[in-house]
Amino acid sequence: MAFISSGYNPDKPMEDRITDIGPRKFDEFLPPVIKKNFGEWDYHEILEPGILVHVAKSGDKVYTIRCGGARLMTTSHIREMLEIADKHCGGHLRFTTRNNVEFMVDDEAKMKALKEDLASRKFAGGSNKFPIGGTGAGITNIVHTQGWVHCHTPATDASGPVKAVMDDCYEHFTSMDLPAPLRISLACCLNMCGAVHASDIGLVGIHRKPPIIDHSVLDNVCEIPLAVSACPLGAIKPTKTELQGEKVNTVAVNENRCMYCGNCYTMCPALPLADKEGDGIAIMVGGKISNRISEPKFSKVVVAYVPNEPPRWPTLTKTVKNIVEVYSKNARKYERLGDWAERIGWEKFFELTGIPFTHHCIDDFRDPAYYTWRQSTQFKFTSHVK
Amino acid sequence: MATVEYAGKSFEVDEDGFLQRFEDWCPEWVDYVKESEGIKELTEGHQKVIDFLQDYYKKNGIAPMVRILSKVTGYKLKQIYELFPSGPGKGACKMAGLPKPTGCV
Repeated sequence: MAFISSGYNPDKPMEDRITDIGPRKFDEFLPPVIKKNFGEWDYHEILEPGILVHVAKSGDKVYTIRCGGARLMTTSHIREMLEIADKHCGGHLRFTTRNNVEFMVDDEAKMKALKEDLASRKFAGGSNKFPIGGTGAGITNIVHTQGWVHCHTPATDASGPVKAVMDDCYEHFTSMDLPAPLRISLACCLNMCGAVHASDIGLVGIHRKPPIIDHSVLDNVCEIPLAVSACPLGAIKPTKTELQGEKVNTVAVNENRCMYCGNCYTMCPALPLADKEGDGIAIMVGGKISNRISEPKFSKVVVAYVPNEPPRWPTLTKTVKNIVEVYSKNARKYERLGDWAERIGWEKFFELTGIPFTHHCIDDFRDPAYYTWRQSTQFKFTSHVK
Repeated sequence: MATVEYAGKSFEVDEDGFLQRFEDWCPEWVDYVKESEGIKELTEGHQKVIDFLQDYYKKNGIAPMVRILSKVTGYKLKQIYELFPSGPGKGACKMAGLPKPTGCV
């Protein structure tokens, strides 16, 4: 395609340069009813899954329809949202912190027309473009990362598994039938971009093999001390090796100490470790960030490894679905997954879900590991020694 | 890997234009890169930053932290950006022949 200049002059890059202007101010984009009643809301109700109404002290109402979004989307999809917003909402819409999209209108008749319009839109393959849901005690969108779409350190994909899991849990997106909201998040490596460490169910890509060392380029493309200090277990040390009769600076990896976190590859491109058979997903459960009743919790590893099975990740989706269903059946109202597992005891969690407990789940990282072992005689006998 | 020919020298570079080998660095490299980094004329200030980055890299095997660069050269981050519009990593380190910065950048 021919080059089309935006007016930027590469010969004078600093000329007419605008910088440090920050984002647009949020209130430029508020729907009139939100602007008018800002800070004056009285109460809200969830009318049905995906549909909320907020009532202001002035009596004004705003109806919100929340729709699932794939997060990764084209400009045509965004234009379609804008078309909907133009048609029903005076050109306004918003995205939530879990990447759902919300359309807002100020009366009930408009809401019904909007709902009907949204429900009628499908992709050629049959998927809903704007599935309505994600409110109350159900499963809303999955916070996720880049995966094989764009990142260089993933151990699994993001968009693929998220689509597979949401397809399996779709009924909980469009209903509010769980004891409490259930947050699922996915990160494609242990960097844990996003929310896996504090979600009811966290899915995180892991490696199971140490990095391969490219001695021929390592000293040229890496700052060796950074690679050494990137290792949480001190498994990497600087060393020299002989390569085609030449001494080169490089690193050595103590494979008995390496737990395949991939941090050294993040710092040093000469230490790749992704592996088709080795890589997979660890499943964590029981995290939350709200302060409701119990304090915020980290999620804990309960399944050390499920294999990558593109494109539908059947073992992963089956395991997640099972956890959701067992939690749904057993937990009390308002109990988040972590609250439930801690009340019944983790040995009961493993017994009820039928997840085989393995030694991989026992913490062995530094002094704090000790506090995760049981220093008490209080436990329940379970049938679970498998 | 691409090879750049400039002023009778050849440099092996990656897709971001960083030198593949620190040893390949020579004053011609700076001359070659400066335009793509938005630098018209090389001043004493530029040279001071480049010299310090190279000394530090040879001595420590890593690029200095921004705070160290500022403290030793006496240039505040703002002044470093005035010298190198792309910043200390993409601009100064590239011109000094240091490896490409890594991590979550």
